[in-house]
Amino acid sequence: MADSNAAVARFEDAEEVERQLGRVARISEVPEGAEWNPIEQAMLQRRSIRRYKRRQVPAHLIRRMLEVGRYAPSQGNCQPWKFVVIRDADMIRGMEDFCVAACKKLSSGFDYTSYPAGSWRHFVTRTKARLFNRLQPNMLHPVPMTVVTAIAEGRFAVFHQAPSVILLLMDKRGIGTPEIDIGICGTNIVLAAQSLGLGTCWIGFSKFLNQSPEWCARLGVEPPFELTEAITVGYPVGDPSRPIARDTHEIAWFEGGKKEILY
Amino acid sequence: MALLSKQERRHFPDWDNPAECIFHRVAIDLEACDGCKLCTLVCPANVLEVYGEKGRKKARVKASQRGCISCNNCRAICANGAIGATQANDFVGFYRQLGRGEFAMPRRF
Repeated sequence: MADSNAAVARFEDAEEVERQLGRVARISEVPEGAEWNPIEQAMLQRRSIRRYKRRQVPAHLIRRMLEVGRYAPSQGNCQPWKFVVIRDADMIRGMEDFCVAACKKLSSGFDYTSYPAGSWRHFVTRTKARLFNRLQPNMLHPVPMTVVTAIAEGRFAVFHQAPSVILLLMDKRGIGTPEIDIGICGTNIVLAAQSLGLGTCWIGFSKFLNQSPEWCARLGVEPPFELTEAITVGYPVGDPSRPIARDTHEIAWFEGGKKEILY
Repeated sequence: MALLSKQERRHFPDWDNPAECIFHRVAIDLEACDGCKLCTLVCPANVLEVYGEKGRKKARVKASQRGCISCNNCRAICANGAIGATQANDFVGFYRQLGRGEFAMPRRF
């Protein structure tokens, strides 16, 4: 049967096959409006924690989190990740210093708001920012630029003085879009941490470390690997688990030949 | 009708123009605030401070709010629900937000 839908036909009566084999898998019934289960709770209570207790996270908990990360789905099961765990305060401070220096360069080169309007520097940096905005609109979004300047002026920390930092390295040869696989892997890690009572924060500014040959050598970041993201881990200050109202997003819902817009 | 017009796509909002880049505002309910200082501790941008005499301390936003990223950790930490960012970031032109509805707490369906 060279049917073009052969693959579909194979699964059509899967439930019937189950019955014939006497191996009917149980379907878990979740009634409408049921209480949140523990996984949903971890997802809803997770926040990006930016203030940590000084107390170090036990090593076995970090290992547990990475174990969950190892089981993340990836395109073609290519698992394009490598982990670097840093638990030395001196080393984290060194990384922090490098990222702050990088932010200073970026801020003085692009953030025209720190120069008086009408000045020559204001004009030059604004023109540069406009130009680069066209090339890299994601990087020069107003929100990260605000933070870049805040970091440059010492008002904001990069690694938030976390006791442990996990670096996610991406194999650039990964199948399809390895960036997405890194995101899924990191999400597993972050949710595991939440369920273990730990706080985490994604640190995109850690990417600056790719620019430093010294840090790349020390951290073992070399082609085809690239430092993509960092996750800080520690015990949060206070109890930040109170749920907060968030944006709702448009959902296009197709059913019964009709389309509905839900929020 | 395109979601973003050609003109909008070409227009990058000015970072320092409040009409084009509308950032969140942090609001504090002074009745509910008991000056416990937790919010100043968790604020990553360090834009909050506590003032007033002992026993009647209240939190406030420092003179410059620059650096606040609207993370709302202050709202999550406050036991009295006295503080929080009151609005979402909003931008004109290229960064205009699309397809957003009202804010909502976790909804059980």
